Amino acid sequence: MEEKRIFQALVARGADFERLDEGHLALSFHRDGLGQRYGLIWSRVISHTRALYALSILNGWGLRTVNSYQTVLTCGDKVLTTGALVRHGIPTPRTTVAFDVETALAAMEEMGYPVVLKPAVGSWGRLLCRVNDRETAEAVLTHKAALGGPSHNVFYIQEYIPKPDRDIRVLVVGDEVVYAVYRRAEHWITNTARGAQTLPCPLTPAIADLSLAAARAVGGGILAVDLLEDADGRLLVSEVNHTPEFHGAMQAVDTDIAGKMADYVLEQFRIATTLSREEE
Amino acid sequence: MRVGVLCSRVRIEEKWLFQAFEERGVEVERIDDEAIILGLPAQMDGYDGVLIRSLSHSRALYASRVLSACGIPVVNPPEVIATCGDKLLTTLALIQHGVPTPQVRVTFSPEAALSAIEEMGYPVVLKPLNGSWGRLQAKINDRDAAEALLEHKQTLGGYLHSIFYIQEYVQKPGRDIRSFVVGGETIAAIYRNSSHWITNTARGAQATNCPVTPEIDQVSRAAAEAVGGGVVAIDILESPDGRLLVSEVNHTPEFRNSVAPTGVDIPGRIADYVVEVITMKSER
Repeated sequence: MEEKRIFQALVARGADFERLDEGHLALSFHRDGLGQRYGLIWSRVISHTRALYALSILNGWGLRTVNSYQTVLTCGDKVLTTGALVRHGIPTPRTTVAFDVETALAAMEEMGYPVVLKPAVGSWGRLLCRVNDRETAEAVLTHKAALGGPSHNVFYIQEYIPKPDRDIRVLVVGDEVVYAVYRRAEHWITNTARGAQTLPCPLTPAIADLSLAAARAVGGGILAVDLLEDADGRLLVSEVNHTPEFHGAMQAVDTDIAGKMADYVLEQFRIATTLSREEE
Repeated sequence: MRVGVLCSRVRIEEKWLFQAFEERGVEVERIDDEAIILGLPAQMDGYDGVLIRSLSHSRALYASRVLSACGIPVVNPPEVIATCGDKLLTTLALIQHGVPTPQVRVTFSPEAALSAIEEMGYPVVLKPLNGSWGRLQAKINDRDAAEALLEHKQTLGGYLHSIFYIQEYVQKPGRDIRSFVVGGETIAAIYRNSSHWITNTARGAQATNCPVTPEIDQVSRAAAEAVGGGVVAIDILESPDGRLLVSEVNHTPEFRNSVAPTGVDIPGRIADYVVEVITMKSER
């Protein structure tokens, strides 16, 4: 859906582009045909792992990508995202990371229930838990540990923000805040992939400034910043997404979202090709 | 007489069992389940009988099946291990034999499980169909917990985690009862006291003697009979209205914490029973 709009926007701008299927790419670590052929690669790869590795190699050649490897690395892992936000002084829910079940349990008890347990890597609200008491904490932590693998033995524990029945998703493209929408749901997990409703949200200066700061903190690019409103009306940044979906927002806002993204990518392309010409 | 004891590790229980056999003049040999090679067609020489003490349910089950196909008396027999090793089969066996047990619902999808849980009302207990020591048992107190646990279970995947066994939570009085039934006789019982709802001694519950009342004896023997007899430990919950409900039956019970409080020589009674099974078989 999003990709179709993106292709249309590129065609409308007379851009010379090709679609690459990451499944068919064999990426050599040494600058090869792809690097000669393209001035920029825009990644819309759904799999975080594939996106991350592909971008690391492309950026390694010196090829510009949207988003950059660094941005995708930071946004794709909640531990790294929170770290970047906190380092840049951006308000975010209190978070603790622990590496074993007993320590995680103690951290949850200390934080006080309810707390939210999130996988460090993952999208669409998958395996998010709201934990309301110790018995649930024990059960969820042991199940997570049983899932095995290194990533499920990293326990990312976050204070639960008793938000209204919605959160705010803000699209940032480069230095521009494009739109804000509410994602409204009866469920505390407000992902549109899980049935949340997307509604227009006034883009106040507070929302715009915070979102832009969050996007910069993680390295910038085309990013969707998720904001929570706490009981005092304060805004907190909860996550930043590196490959935003926007089909929900298309119904709620008038902006040509794909067009804004395409303009940014083409601008990046111009910068990249000018730079490489100067190098020569 | 020569008895083999199939084990994964030699714990205190197995040490005591070896001693008990030796005291009875029975030659006993440890068979390591890591090393055993089971020939098919079934053949196994050198043992008059085998006591299965393997920690792994599937190893216990398949070893018992093969050895019993060789005509060797096995404690426990495969039917007992198969039933006790699967909570759904245990519940079915208990109900078929009229043994009181907590209400259970079984579903095959997380969505149906959530509906079942909401209908039963909180709290409920979600249990994997197999597994010991209370591992991955979850007490679910609200819908948030139900959603979280069901999604994790679904992600865990595999045959056993895709079957959702949901048991009514019995408001037990800070303890449950574990009774030992050996060859149709209730030989001892302990209370397992714990402030935690999981009352396994492996998880820190304190064992104290529980007098074997006629009610406990009756329900314990009925439960053992329902799963096919042998050497089993019965987990009994006392409901607030005073009923005794059988929650689980264990086919390879641990008893290190039960000998002292009850004063019953549990390993000795098990050894006696194994000898009796072998003798009866050879007389036939």
